[in-house]
Amino acid sequence: MTAPHATVDTAPPSLREMVRITVGLTVVCLLASIILGGFFLWTEPAKARNIAAREELLIRQLLGLPESATIREVRRYLLWRGPELEAFYLGDRRLLQLDASGDLIATAEVPAEIADSPGDGAKDAWVRERAAVDEDQEVRYVGRFFAGYDGERNAGYVIEGATIGFKTWIRFFLAVDADYGLRGIEVTEHEEDPGLGAEITEPYFKHQYSGRSFDDIAAIEVTKDPLPGEWRTALEALDGSDLDRWLQQHADLVAAHPDIHAITGATISSVAVTKGVKRALRNFRKRMDFVEAHL
Amino acid sequence: MNTATTRPAPPVSELLMRGLFDENPVFRLALSLCPAVAVTTTVNNGLMLGVAVFVVQILSSVSASLIRHIIIPKIRVPIFVIIIAIWVSVMDMVLAAFYPMVYAQVGLYVKLIVAFAIIISRMELFAMKHPVMPSFWDGFGMGLGFLVAMLLTGAFRELLGSGSLFGYALVDFRPLLLVVLPAGGFFTIGLIMALFNWVDVKRGISVKDNYKGCHG
Repeated sequence: MTAPHATVDTAPPSLREMVRITVGLTVVCLLASIILGGFFLWTEPAKARNIAAREELLIRQLLGLPESATIREVRRYLLWRGPELEAFYLGDRRLLQLDASGDLIATAEVPAEIADSPGDGAKDAWVRERAAVDEDQEVRYVGRFFAGYDGERNAGYVIEGATIGFKTWIRFFLAVDADYGLRGIEVTEHEEDPGLGAEITEPYFKHQYSGRSFDDIAAIEVTKDPLPGEWRTALEALDGSDLDRWLQQHADLVAAHPDIHAITGATISSVAVTKGVKRALRNFRKRMDFVEAHL
Repeated sequence: MNTATTRPAPPVSELLMRGLFDENPVFRLALSLCPAVAVTTTVNNGLMLGVAVFVVQILSSVSASLIRHIIIPKIRVPIFVIIIAIWVSVMDMVLAAFYPMVYAQVGLYVKLIVAFAIIISRMELFAMKHPVMPSFWDGFGMGLGFLVAMLLTGAFRELLGSGSLFGYALVDFRPLLLVVLPAGGFFTIGLIMALFNWVDVKRGISVKDNYKGCHG
């Protein structure tokens, strides 16, 4: 054993002292966890409310919903029951149970206290209970979407999607109208590099998806051509303004740029978002064909 | 390592003056410069980080002072780190729950407070040797000193770099981009340090006597 500093006591601690140190550190850590646990229990409901409020605001902005409109959350679960795959859709009124080919197996009414419960815990537990699974089977939450209703009129959907970015998951919201056209995207969570992949949140990139029909998105590709200045100006003008009016004004520009211009130096992030958007929209339409009439 | 009270604590007024001027964490001790430079591009950001450090400093100093007789000297540093981590996590949770708008802006920096040299150095140098009340005032003074430093630096950089204060446009000129960049942050802190020295000279104190050196 080397002693870099002569003044430091380098003698190994006695057994007694080692026990004291271990016990002391354990007690301190125990106290720390009690304090932190207490604060967590106190602050967690408020934090969950904040997140829910922020999501609701984002959904209203994306769909351009008025104050009076209501938003309904639909959560999706998957379950392997032996070799058979089953899907569950939990709306605010009904729980649907579907088999792998999309045929309805059963429905159940959702009790009001479950539909109105804050956070996700009570909902997930209720679905698990209804699914009546054996111990070795697991009901897995796999995603959710939101339906906006202006009175009884369907004002569109917001889908939560995720895609593998440069390093880890990029999570995003897709705003979709009743005809499955894409109104816009919003990246909610990502860890892309600042100045490169992180540009996916910038108006000039994310608005390239805005106002495209379902077929446009299905055919969309990523190009490495530089973003033309005129198109960039138009995309940046969309931020904070009305999509329908913007589409009227810039119809020819939108038609002239059917593809997504990749961010310079961040082709991987650009392709990842584009793939994620395409997949999320395609899957959403497929699923809605099965469940829309029942929810 | 003698952890008991060795000498009487200085009066409150001296503790406050120490934190604000004589041993100001940023301008005298040059501690925690990296986060200070990163955050102080606007007054508002500086203010919020300053308040967070102020609260964590007081809570940590008081906690360390409360348990100073039962801390095993050999493991006091890990215990200090745990104490700071507790209060930083508490700040983090409380901000996220009740001040989400503030949290969105400073959430990243609040977590960094765990590694702030100024907090652990006050626990080691002062709170371990003094009772709770003087430790409270020492934490109060040092935290306030850091807060004031953040405000001064932030105000200078926002005024010159963006021509505004607290986001309100004040002067209309082409802003000096350099001041907002990290290098400009160091220049700003250097200039204010020079101002502190100038004030000392005016007060008749030799700069050499007061200068405690850079602690990294």
